[in-house]
Parts: sequence; structure tokens; C-alpha cells
Amino acid sequence: MVSAIDYALWIPVLPIVAFPIILFLGNVFKGMPAWRGRWKEGGTIATIVIGTCLGLSIWLIVGYIGQVTGNESVGQIGDWLSFHMVENGNLVSYSLGFGMYLDHVSVMLLFVASFLCFLIAIFSLGYMNSDPVNLDRNHRFYAEFLLFCAGMLGMVLADNFLWLFIFWEIMGLCSYLLIGFYYERPSASYAAKKAFLTTRVGDIFLLIGLLILWNLFGSLDFSVVWAEDNIAAVDAGTLKIALFMMFVGAVGKSAQFPLHVWLPDAMEGPTPVSALIHAATMVNAGLYLVARMFPFFASPAMAGEFTDLAMLIAWIGGITAFMAALIAFVQMDIKKVLAYSTMSQLAYIFTGLGAALWFANTGHEEIALLAFGASMFHLFNHAMAKGMLFMASGSVIHEMHHVHHEVAHHDSGESAAGNAAGGDHDGGQGGGDDHDHFDAQDMSNMGGLASKMPITATAMAVGSASIIGIPLIGGFWSKEGIIGAAWKASLTSGGAWMLGPALLLLITAGMTGFYMSRMWFMTFAGKPNTPVANGVVEQTPFIPIPLITLTVVTLGGIVFAGFEFVHWVADGHAEMHFTHVLSGIGSEMKHAFLPSGEENGALIFLVTMLTIVISTIVGPATAMALYGGRLQKGEKAKPWLAWLVSLSSRVRRNNHFDNSIWANSGLADSLHQRLHFDAWYDAAMLKIVVPFANACAWFDQHIIDGAIKGIEYGSQEGSSVIRRLTTGSGRDYIMMVALGTLAIFVLIWGVA
Amino acid sequence: MIDPMWAVVLGICLFTIGLWGAVTRKNAIIVLMCIEIILNAVNLNFVAAAAQHGDVTGWVYTVFAIAIAAAEVAIGLAIFLSFYGHNETISLDEMELLKH
Amino acid sequence: MISNAKMQMRDREFALISGLLAISAVLMYLFPSFAVENSAGQIDWITLPLVAFPLIAGTVLMAFASMQPYRLKDRIGQPIKLISLAFALMMLGISSGLLFGWLESINWDLSQYNRYELDFEYAWIQSIGVSWHVGLDGLSFSMVWLTTVLIPIVMITTWEEKIGWYHHPLILMMGGALIGVFVALDFFMFFVFWEMTLIPMFFLILKWGGDDRRYAAQKFFIYTFTGSVVMLLGIITLYFLQPSSQALVDQGVLTGRTFDMTQMAIGAQAAANADIAWLGIDMQKALFLMFLLGFLVKLPAVPFHTWLPDAHVQAPTAGSMLLAGVMLKMGGYGLFRVCATLFPEALLEYQWLLLTIGMVSLVYGSFVCLGQTNLKRLVAFSSVSHMGIILLGIATMEPLGFAGAIFMMFAHGIISPLLFAVAGAFKHHYHTLEIGSMRGMAKHSPWLATFMMFGWMASLGLPLLAGFVAEITVLIAFWKAFGWWVILPGITLIVTAAYYLWSMQKTIFEGGDDGEMPESLGGAPAPDISLWEVSGMMLLAMLTVLFGVLPWIFFDMMTGYAYGLFDGILLNVITGGA
Repeated sequence: MVSAIDYALWIPVLPIVAFPIILFLGNVFKGMPAWRGRWKEGGTIATIVIGTCLGLSIWLIVGYIGQVTGNESVGQIGDWLSFHMVENGNLVSYSLGFGMYLDHVSVMLLFVASFLCFLIAIFSLGYMNSDPVNLDRNHRFYAEFLLFCAGMLGMVLADNFLWLFIFWEIMGLCSYLLIGFYYERPSASYAAKKAFLTTRVGDIFLLIGLLILWNLFGSLDFSVVWAEDNIAAVDAGTLKIALFMMFVGAVGKSAQFPLHVWLPDAMEGPTPVSALIHAATMVNAGLYLVARMFPFFASPAMAGEFTDLAMLIAWIGGITAFMAALIAFVQMDIKKVLAYSTMSQLAYIFTGLGAALWFANTGHEEIALLAFGASMFHLFNHAMAKGMLFMASGSVIHEMHHVHHEVAHHDSGESAAGNAAGGDHDGGQGGGDDHDHFDAQDMSNMGGLASKMPITATAMAVGSASIIGIPLIGGFWSKEGIIGAAWKASLTSGGAWMLGPALLLLITAGMTGFYMSRMWFMTFAGKPNTPVANGVVEQTPFIPIPLITLTVVTLGGIVFAGFEFVHWVADGHAEMHFTHVLSGIGSEMKHAFLPSGEENGALIFLVTMLTIVISTIVGPATAMALYGGRLQKGEKAKPWLAWLVSLSSRVRRNNHFDNSIWANSGLADSLHQRLHFDAWYDAAMLKIVVPFANACAWFDQHIIDGAIKGIEYGSQEGSSVIRRLTTGSGRDYIMMVALGTLAIFVLIWGVA
Repeated sequence: MIDPMWAVVLGICLFTIGLWGAVTRKNAIIVLMCIEIILNAVNLNFVAAAAQHGDVTGWVYTVFAIAIAAAEVAIGLAIFLSFYGHNETISLDEMELLKH
Repeated sequence: MISNAKMQMRDREFALISGLLAISAVLMYLFPSFAVENSAGQIDWITLPLVAFPLIAGTVLMAFASMQPYRLKDRIGQPIKLISLAFALMMLGISSGLLFGWLESINWDLSQYNRYELDFEYAWIQSIGVSWHVGLDGLSFSMVWLTTVLIPIVMITTWEEKIGWYHHPLILMMGGALIGVFVALDFFMFFVFWEMTLIPMFFLILKWGGDDRRYAAQKFFIYTFTGSVVMLLGIITLYFLQPSSQALVDQGVLTGRTFDMTQMAIGAQAAANADIAWLGIDMQKALFLMFLLGFLVKLPAVPFHTWLPDAHVQAPTAGSMLLAGVMLKMGGYGLFRVCATLFPEALLEYQWLLLTIGMVSLVYGSFVCLGQTNLKRLVAFSSVSHMGIILLGIATMEPLGFAGAIFMMFAHGIISPLLFAVAGAFKHHYHTLEIGSMRGMAKHSPWLATFMMFGWMASLGLPLLAGFVAEITVLIAFWKAFGWWVILPGITLIVTAAYYLWSMQKTIFEGGDDGEMPESLGGAPAPDISLWEVSGMMLLAMLTVLFGVLPWIFFDMMTGYAYGLFDGILLNVITGGA
């Protein structure tokens, strides 16, 4: 029987093969009408390839869920490297292999990755191909996009840490290439370099962690390193160091404090890239890696050994969540707000995983699985919602940009031909380097778009609701789980330190409510702030398809919750309850709102209610009071948005307050400076590393090569001294011969 | 018979005189003559040694040396003549071609 | 019109000559199978043409070119290039045939100490014990294949760059000499070919180099020559340290001694099995140091590296590619072939020395890179840094470290020619090598920018490209041997990324919509690289991917070689010492 598993290898291989093909075709057919039109400069190929990957993935996933046989390793495909090591005076043979591994976590991430890759490929067909800036170089985008997909899908499917690392680095490369897609902009090339270098720092830690792990287990295969007997046989201290190093790698990839500086700059890339790589998939790689550490923490042999590491993971998450939300308060660039929101939400998942690992390590298996499931579910929800949010922001930016072109060129009276030419010379929609400094990403240039872009506004609203955690929408279920898990951990004996992250998460929930609402209201409510915003229409093809799809998926979070997704994703032995959706929803509701019968049930209930109140009422209400407002006269939003707009205008009328004290404070200033981390890192680079390197170069040229040149010079000088002996006069030579002969005789006599 | 030792002593004296002349004199012809003296000192040593050991080899060498010395003088004088033809001098101080 | 017709006639003549030469070459290849009596159609002799024919063909071509009347000189360039390329491709065909077993099934995964495939011995200068003794194992065959694959690629890449009749024949000769070094199992042969490689390279730099080429060529020659003189002393010492054997005297060897490495290896193995140091530990250490100096200068390792940047900056593209691609590997090859094979006790004793020099080369080299503004100097110093990894691999004293170090030589042999091809093309088209003198290369020379990015990424150790395999294997062994010292290579990997990314940012990227052209172009438009250059770089890039994805093609034979080395001699020494 044909099994999906036989074709699983094609999932990463297909896009990786298509990568050079698109690049080559693009270079050959660049500029031809058919290539631009029907082939979408490679977009068609990319979409077909990704669609095939999605099909294969779904085939694989359906098979996996249908079987419900628990963890299943698809197994080794072959040895990649085989070698020998000296062990106790003998040569022992080892190998590093390549294979596929499927379990509940990889299946979930496989779906997320392939689904979002496909949707964003469709989105790109509209977004990239209708922008004259990208003309004749879209093939590069699609090729690198495919390579990225191969990296992500390969990483998810890999059956050992080595190949996980390999695909991890491939993604890093694609991130670099795509951030630097607009290579001619200094800011983009700087951002690309920064992203690669910052993640590289984490990657080196990860690499060292893998070296330690290999040395402990003699293998990097999941099936070997997770085997209970093998874990019991290794030294806990060394394993902890290995896990810590791997965690630092995850911190770099998922843009957590203190390696977070690259993510906001990464928004220099085209918006589909931000949506896919820097929001929905690649940044989840770090989470995936940490999730892959779960068996080590859950091993009975290691019980109680890694509690401080789990605590550290939770703390990093808590700090990042809070810090990113704080910085998001002052961002005016719509993509930057989303970038910080991404950072903050990933940090939630980190904290959730930290709590899960802590519970696992202290022997609370059931809660650990619950927290783990909640984290994974939040990963799922966040990926869907944030992918959609970025695409929606891309839609806004694209239309703003488009209208700006028309307005600007109409005003200066240029012809249509001049328009196209002007498009080529324009710096693109990337903001500040436009010739007239109009920033299509700046929210202060927008406003009142709710009626002009109904699909985008709806998608944005649903996505924001999911991120905020409005009850019954996707993100709510998982976020409650994470906050609840953190609080439960802090109330369990020995977990008092978890109180910090738990509190930070609680506060951040409210802050999330504020900044996400602020973004929505600034963009979609109120009156248009610029003539450009006034002229915006939703018109680009392809863009609405992924937005509508993802809106449905996000709203359907409650259905997923009803499937007992949380239990399933945490534990491969649990089943998806497709048939009992309603009772599942019921039990989830009860679990979320009335967590009675549990330990500390009352307090958890209090925390839950508090979270709901501050995130859905306090945060958005503050945002409404500051940024809400009625639409322009005659404009009418869709009914499901109209009430929100009018509510915001009413709140603003009644409760508007002056926030200029805050906005002009030193805190806001340093928030604008991103809390100075970038400046410090740059200073460290410029003041320490670069001078040291220059000193090395100087040393090399003047001391080491100087010594060689000294020898050279010395021997030349010496030879010119000796040269004086050669007078050229025959008599002198005879004299020397005589003296030399005499000397030889004397020597011989002396020796004798 | 004269003690060969005396011949050796004479040879040393002649050799020293010849060497001294070869090193100190300016005139190339005189230097050539001094070299001849050195050769003759060597020849004398050969003859003395041959007489001492009763071996004809030394005499054979002497005959060879004389023949070669004659040839050498011929060549040497020819070189000096040629040099004089070019430079109008045979002073050794002017001959510095080896330097280059 | 008439002159045109005449020209065609001439071209036909040259086509005829080239065809004749090619046919004669084929005949020459077939000839030894009749000349050498061998049972069952063995092809042991095949290494002889691999070494000799490039040398002969190169010499003949140059002589042919120099004998032509001056008026024809313009037209003989193309046929000579074609013949050179034909020979190079034939060499590649032979070595690939050996690799895939087309000519004869050969087991490259030898895991035996001192065992060689295609082992062929012929008394050369019998009176002093010199023989034409050649053979191939996992170590040398990978280097031979690398050389044969690089020679045609170098020719293709530089097809149009330099005008001259001697350029391609010189490259061909270089290939012959390099293969000679790698196949030699006799110290005399080894040294002869070792020095012979200097000659074509010297002339390549001297004739086609940059403005300061005289100085660079002389420095290159004298510096490496000094190193090899010390090595020669070591060879002579080693020769006279052997006891005179009556059996050899009976065979007509006057001294009763031999230059044969395999004979010495037998002695070394016997001594190691009996737990005594061959030749005595002090003598072994002295010899080890003599050879080490020669190899370190060639490698080159800090502090003997300063000839390399000068040579590279002045060398023409072909010279740089061969220098970095294969010539540096001679040093690493020698470390394995001589130091590890014959002086295991000294190797163990001087583990710390290799570790120190390797670490300094690696870390210091990468920081010096960061301080460079000249593209070729940057790439040259990155070679120094990467060669440090080879020393680290040897210092681990693990079979994996050895195999990884050999793979590093192989991988660097593919990647660094690409880097220098890019740098050379950069110089060729932009007339400058200063990083930061221009911006936005991706706009004007998209192909060059693509290959630059590819090469740079390969060199900084991106997975699925050849360099990564070498780095990860060496690092695994390194962690096992030295533990937390791995932080220093780790820092280096970051610094490596930093200097490569920085140089890309300042050349490929930026520059606004129109880019910035360097002043050296004087306002002229910058063309993209030619089809020849693209093909050469494309081939190198494809090889990099091939051996990054399927490293086992060569890694298995390297593992086999390392296994043989440890099984045969090193394991005895390590456990005996402990």
C-alpha cells in the first residue's frame, strides 16, 4: 500500500530543488511578458510546489492522526557520515544519519508551516507582483521563499538534532537573504547583517550544546537521546549545560531577550517575508527546539535536576514579554508594532514551556502536559493570527503605497509613463527613503480605513482579538492555559520564583490589550489623517484569499479547543475528539472559566478573571479613549465593525485624557530607543571588536610580516657589507686564497 | 747527496717570495713572473720528494707542470697584451672586472 | 577577404595539430598497458600518465609556442588553450574513472595502515635507493581528484582573462607537479615534485601578477623554499638514520638505504608494536619539527603565513585559485603522510604545539580578516584561519578529527578557488580590490554578486555546503579532546560570519537605486562577468553543494584512511603512552 510516509522526504526536497530552478529561469526569462504575466515571475511555480508540499503534509498528518498509535519514528533513511572515535583504547564506529521523525508536535508544526507557506505564497502573488519596485526580481523572492519553506519543513521533519540544526541554519540564511531583498537600501542590508549575526551567536551556542549532547549520548537521534535508559546513564550536570546551550540557540532564533534586537529591524524585508519568517514560522523554531527538550526534563532519572533551567526559561519569557509589550506602546510603524507583539507572544510560549518543563522536572506530569499543550496551542494560534495580521498590515501598506504613488504623481502632473518609471526609482513601500519622505507604514498617516478596506479590517480585528485573548477566540484558550500554568507553578512548593514571570505575564496581558487595540484604532477608526488614506481601496487580487481563510481558522479556535487539541498535542497517546466537539467545548469552557476542584482553584479562578478583565476591557478601553473615533461622514463600516468604531468614538468622547506626560517622559524616550540595547551592542562591536581586529591587522602587517621583512632587509644589508670584500682586484683574491689555505692548515693541525 | 730537506726549505723560500710578489706588485707581468716562481717552488718540492722516495711520479708531475706553465705564460701574456690593447695599461689596480 | 581565408586555413592547421596531439595523448595513455607486463590487465601504472603527461604536454606546448614565428603568435593562443583543456579533461576522466571504478574496481575505503591501491614501484636511481614508487589511498586520492577537477575549472574560469601562450600550459604543468606530490611514496620523488610545484606558480605570479608581482613572487618562492630546505635536511637525516641493509646492497643500492616511505612506515609500525619509539624519541622529535616547519610554511600557519596574502593579492586569478585550492593542501597532506605516519610518538608529544598553532591561526586569522579592507587579503587570511582547523583536527588525535581535517582540506580546496575566482573577477571588472569602494554590485553584476554570496556563505560554514561537514566533524572530535576550548573556534565562527557579512554589505548591497561605481572605473559602465567565468564558478558552486549534501563520497574513504592510521600505529602509541 502506498503510504504518505514514503513521500515524506519530498516535502523538504521539492522546494529545495525548485529553488535553483526558479532562480535560473528567472535570470533567463527576466522581463518577458509571459514570465511576468502567467508565470508571475516564478510565483506560479512556487505556489504549485508549496501546494504539493501542503498536500503531502496533510496526507501525512491525516494518516498520523487516524492511526493514533502514539509516537512513531519514520526512521532512518541512511547514514550521512560514518566515522570512528577512540574509546578506552579501542576504535568504536559511529554515524550521523538522516531520517524522518513524526510525532504530535512535529505534525502540528508541519501543518502550521506548510499551511502558512501556502497561504503566504498566494498572498505574495498579489502583493509582490503588483509592486513595480519588485519588477524583474520577484524570481529571487520566490526562490528564496521556497528555500525557506524547505528549511522549515525539513527542520520539523528531521529525526535528529544535527539535521534540525542544518535546516535551522538554512532558514537563517533565507531570513538574511529576504530581509536584504531590497539590497539597495542601506537600512535593509544593515538589518540583514544584524539578523544573521545575532542569530549566529545563538547558533554557535546551539552547536556547542549539540557537541556536548553528542558526546554524552554518542548520537543525536531523537530516538536515542530520548530513550529513558540512555538519559539515566548520563551525567545530569553536563546534560544541563548542553540543554542550556541549546536554549540560548533558541533564544537567538526566537528573538528573546537578550538576543532580541534583530527582529524589529528584520521588518525591512517585504511584508510576506515578515509574515512568514518573522512571525509565523521561523521564529517558532526556537520554541520547537525547547519543546524537543521536554523528554529530558520529564525523565524520572533527571527529576529535580533541571528546575533552575526551567525557571530561567520562564524568566526569559516573562522579561521579554513585558519588555516587548512596553516598547510596542510607542511604535508608530505598523509592522514594528506587530514585530514587538510577535516577540511578546513568543515569550508567552517560552514561559508556558518553562512552566511545563518545571512541572515535568518536579514530577507533576499531568499539569506539565497541560501546560505543554497550552504552549503548543498558543504557538498554533499565534502563528495563524500573526501571519494574518502581517498579511493584513501588508494589505494596508500596499494600498497606501499604491494610492500615494497616484496622488504624488498626479500632483506633479506626470504622465502615466512617467508614473511607471517613477515607480522604478521610488524607494518602495519601505518607509523613510521615499523621495518625498512619505511613510506608507506609519500609522499616523492612516486612520478611518475600516470602511475602505472591510476584509483587511475584519482580519485585523479578528487577529488582534486572538492575540489579545478575547474570550472564545483562538488565542484565548491557549493564553489562559499559559498564564494559569505559570501561576500554578508559582503556587506549587519550590516554585515561588515562578511568581515573577507569572506576574509579568499577567501585566503583559493587559498591555497586549492596549497596544493591539491602539494599532487597530489608529489604522481603521477615526478620520483619515492624510489624503492618501482617504483614497485607499481594497483592490489587489489574491490578497483577500489568505485573509479570509485565516480569519475563519482563527475564529475556529474554539473548535480546535473542543477537539481537546491541548491534550492531543501534549501527549501523542491522547486522541482528537472529533465527535465530541460540543462536550469538548463545554469541558474547555468549564476548565477555563470555572477551574474548581483543583488545587488553589479559587486563586486560579481569580487570575483568570483578572486576565480577562484587564486584557479585554482595561487595555482596549484605554486604547479607545486615546485613539478611537468616528469615521468620516458618509463612510460606513460593515456591521460587525461598525459597533466597534462607534463604541470607540463614544469612549473617546467621554473618557479622553491627555497622555502627553507619558508620551514626553524619559521612559517613552528610551522606549523609542528600544531601551538602548541596540546602541549598546553596536557600541560593543565598534569600540571593542573592531579596534581589536584593526590592532590584529596592524600587528600582522608590522610585527609578524615586519619580522620577515626585517630578516629580508638584514640579509640584504649584511650582503652589501660582505660585498665590500670583493674588490675585484686579483691580488686580493690571491691573498685571500693564501690566508684561507693557511687557516685550513692551522685548523687541521689544531684538530690533530 | 744533498739532504732533500734543503730543497724543501728552498722551495718554501721561493714560494713565499713568489706569493709576496704576486700579492704586492702592481705590474701584471711581475705578478705573472711571481706565479712562475711559485710553480717552480712546487716543482722543486716534487723533485725533492721524488728523490727521497725514489719514485719517478714526482718527476713526471714536474715535467707536466713545466709544460703547463709554459702554456699558461703564453695565454697569460696574450691576455695582458689584449688587455693593454683595450685599456692601455696592465696595472692590476685597474683590473676590477671581477667585481661586476 | 583573402586574409580572412588565410586565417581560416591557419585555424584548420591548428585544429589538425591539436587533434594529432590529442590522438597521440590517447595512444600514450594506452601504451603502458602493453609496455608494462602485468597480470590480469591491472592498471597500476595509471598514475604515471597522471603525473607525467601534464608535465610533458605543458612543456611541449610551451616549446611549440615559443618556436612559432612571431606573426602567428596571435592565433596559436586558442588551440593551445584547447589542447591544455583537453589534457586536463583527460586527467579528470582518469581520476573520476578511478573514483567510480570504471576502469577497475578499486576499494577506496582502505582501512589498513600503509596499504595503497595502484601501488606501483619502479627503480629509478637505484644506486642511492630512489624509486618511482607511487600509490593512492583515501588521503592522497581525494587530493588527486581535487587537483584534476580544479585544473580544468581554473582553465575555464580564466579562459579570457589573460592573454598569452604559456598561461594554460603552465596550469597544466602545475597539475602534473601537484599530482606528483600526492602520489609519491618515495621521499626523493616527494621532494622533487614538492619543489617543482613552485616553478609554474612562480612564473604565473611573475608574468600575470599585479603591480607588485616581482616582490610577491620572490617572497613566495624564497619563503616556501626556506621551509622546504629544512624539510630536505629532515629527509636526508631520515635517509642516513636507517641501518644499511645487505639485501639492498645486493640489489645494487650502493648505500644500502632507501627513500621509500612505505619501507620506513613498516619500521615505524614494528617499533610501535614493540612499544618503543622508532629512531628514538629525541631523534623523532627533531625530525618531526624539521618536517613540521616545511609543512607549516606551506599550510600556512601563523606565524609563517605572511607570504600568503602578498602572493594572493599579486597573483592572477588562476594562480590564486590553484595556490589556495591545492598548494596549501600540500602542507596538510604532508602532516598526515609524514608526521602522523612516521612519527606518532612525536606527534603525541607535540599535540600541544599543533593545538596552539592551530588555535592561533584560527582565531587570530579571523580577527585579522575583520581588519582587512582588501578583498583578496581578506580571502587570503580566511584561508589561514581555515587551515587552522586542519591543525586542530590533527591535534585532537581522534580518527574523526583526522577525517574531518582531511575533509576540510578537500572542502576548502573547492570553496577557496571559488572565493578567489570571485575576487579575481572583481578585480578584473572593477579594477580595484578595496571593499567599500563601490556599492550595489547586485544591480550591475548580478552573477558575480550571486557567486560572491554563495562562496562567502560556503566559506562561513553554511550547512549543506561542503565546509560545514568539515567544521562539524572537527568540532565534535575537538569537544571530546579538549572540552571547553571549543569556545574559541565558536567565537571564530561568529567573527568569520561578521567579516564576510560586512564585506558583502559593503559591496553587494547598498548604493541606492543606481549603485556606486568605484573611482577606478572612471565612470565607465561595469559589465557583468563573462560566460566563461560564470561557468567556472557555477561548476565550483555545484561541487560545493554536491559534497555538502553527499559528503560520504569522499568522507568514507577519509574515515577509512584515519581508521587505518589509528588501527595500524597511533592507537598503540596513544594507549602505550597512557
